[in-house]
Amino acid sequence: MSDAPFRNPGWAGNTGEFDLSEDDVRGATYAGERPAEGRHPSTSASYPFMLVERDPYAPLFEGPHRERYEKIRSRYPTAMAALLPALNLAQELRGHISPETMDEVASLLGLSSAYVRGVATFYTMYNKRPVGRFLIQVCTNISCNICGADEVLAAFLEHTRTELGDTSDDGNFTVVEAECLAACGFPTCVQINERYFEDVSVGDVPDILERLTDELAAD
Amino acid sequence: MADNGRKADTVTLTIDGHEVTVPKGMSLLHAAEALGVEVPHYCYHPGLSAPAQCRICLVEVEGAPKLQPSCVTMAQDGQVVHTESAQARRMRQGVLEFYLVNHPLDCPICDMSGECKLQDYVFNEGREHGRGREPKRVFGRDDFGGDVLYYGDRCVMCTRCVRFMDEVARDGRLTVVERGDRAVIDTFFESGLDGASFAGNIVDICPVGALVSKDFLHKARAWDLDHTESVCPNCSQGCNIDLHTRDNLVQRLKPRENPEVNGHWMCDYGRANYEWLNRPGRLEAPAVGRGDKRRASDWQHALHALFERLAEAGGASVRVVGSAFSSNEALGALRALGEQAGTLQAGVFRSRRAEDEDPLPGFPILVRRRDLAPNVDGAGILGFTRVGDDDGAGGLEEAADHDGVLIVVGDELADQDESFGAKAGLFVYLGTFDSPAARNADFVLPVTTFAEEEGTFVNAQGRVQRFRQGLRGPGTVQPAWLVLGTLLAALTGGDRPVSAADAFASIVQRHAAFGGLTWDGVGSAGAALEAAHA
Repeated sequence: MSDAPFRNPGWAGNTGEFDLSEDDVRGATYAGERPAEGRHPSTSASYPFMLVERDPYAPLFEGPHRERYEKIRSRYPTAMAALLPALNLAQELRGHISPETMDEVASLLGLSSAYVRGVATFYTMYNKRPVGRFLIQVCTNISCNICGADEVLAAFLEHTRTELGDTSDDGNFTVVEAECLAACGFPTCVQINERYFEDVSVGDVPDILERLTDELAAD
Repeated sequence: MADNGRKADTVTLTIDGHEVTVPKGMSLLHAAEALGVEVPHYCYHPGLSAPAQCRICLVEVEGAPKLQPSCVTMAQDGQVVHTESAQARRMRQGVLEFYLVNHPLDCPICDMSGECKLQDYVFNEGREHGRGREPKRVFGRDDFGGDVLYYGDRCVMCTRCVRFMDEVARDGRLTVVERGDRAVIDTFFESGLDGASFAGNIVDICPVGALVSKDFLHKARAWDLDHTESVCPNCSQGCNIDLHTRDNLVQRLKPRENPEVNGHWMCDYGRANYEWLNRPGRLEAPAVGRGDKRRASDWQHALHALFERLAEAGGASVRVVGSAFSSNEALGALRALGEQAGTLQAGVFRSRRAEDEDPLPGFPILVRRRDLAPNVDGAGILGFTRVGDDDGAGGLEEAADHDGVLIVVGDELADQDESFGAKAGLFVYLGTFDSPAARNADFVLPVTTFAEEEGTFVNAQGRVQRFRQGLRGPGTVQPAWLVLGTLLAALTGGDRPVSAADAFASIVQRHAAFGGLTWDGVGSAGAALEAAHA
């Protein structure tokens, strides 16, 4: 836990877990060791640990990751059931689920490539194309929307100088619209990688982006 | 009722005020069907699993807290079901309105128009006017390869096609991609359906115009097509089909349900091979005389002259060449005529064979057979022997040099040259097309194709199946059974057949394998031959 001076630009109070550095959360050690420590392997690659900036051509399911895959597979009766955590693992390693990744996961699990594509495209939390270092998901569902989510979304797009769904030129930010993030009491809610930023207003947007950029510089 | 403790095999329930007794385990949808009530449905198809996801077959069941999907709700004793109650109708109207939110309503240019379930249901029960003000989302169309074209905007996401490919063709190449209003049916990116040999069925089972045939695209309107019950002539499986015809041309073949033969399905090979039925340049009138002496004639003179030649030839050696595309009636009459005209040496036929079979994994009765002709088994039962190679060529050396009576029916003799039948004392050629090898024929008699006549084939399962006349033959063509049967009757002094039923009755009389079958008994669904002969 850091003792960094804390300005509250609108996100939830400093309860500690939000103060983890990006490295704490997405670091190879953290994501990689969980199953080895014997915890539930099916969650080993689930959000938030999968938004790791990785090599999109990284070998899938080799070495320790092979073991993790085997563990995942052993917990499910059918290959279809093991597909979601297998895709999670693939996204953790590669950052997004490309057609090639779908194909590889399909042949590994013995499913048809089309079926894997159907599943991967059904779930919005699988990135079907590369995203920036920070994936900024702005809730525009009802509660947030009536509290100005559209303006917040527009502000994020303006300040990151991107179009909706595109990645900024420096590779840092991708801004997308999200459906309800289950924080209706604190609109507008914005999820940035694994962190929630609540009660976000248009004025908070530059502060949030500045903090994120500072975190990158500190790495 | 169950009070008496006996386990009944049937249940009695009330649907729309009518009591109906149906077997236990039948769905409400089928129970209603038994009463003649069609409950609208998209995702349910009798040949596939029922996911109950289209939500349009919901019916009101008294005592149930909400409407029940009739395709998966089993009929129970004492149930009271309303398919037309205000609640059920209101619900269907609401569901239909949702279906139309993004539907392009492009019926005027849609191939499915006229046989589309969305069109029918909306016409019956939909709102008179749409309430949508938002622009509709547009996908355009996607070529799946093979004969299949996908229009995403028209799709109602019933997933029949996905389940057919998955459950019946056992080929997981189709899937639903994305979700919500972005959902489309697709393959794995550009992989398409090429090489899937039963993919054409997804066009048939699509309840709307989302999956259409490229071959049939914008070719004819559904309401202009005549449907004729027939049998697929492209392999010896003999899938039951409907010939869809317009302007005296076959426009497409569609499978007709027969659980004993093809279920609801047929293969793409069979489906695609119909253009030969429309081939122009047919023989249209009888001709008499060999080579340069060939003169056009008419049936009366030609048959009279032929009868006299056959009568003169009495006792001569006779060879007949049949075809596996000829009906049992034609082949039976050919054999009988050959036996009557002299000493029948041999009856032969030739037929193309594929290298392998192609079964439908989820419905293994249906196999695209090796024999690529509809009546190979019938020809065998009627005493014809297969000669020649797997390309349907060769094997006619003895017939070509025969010096007695030679009768060729239905074989185009494409691989034979002009010397064929040169030594024959009498050479009769009954065919659909002229052929160089028919040059020496004394009589060239034009006959109908199977689509232009009635008759029966025997399929590879030993099943006699009737086909009906869907096209008018060109010129003065006659069915081969009529020509041969008339000659036979003249030689024997018997009655000439006046219908295919007569011709069939005479085969039943002469061939024990057909014992016990009647023309009406064969009916639309066919009938199995005696097991000993099948």
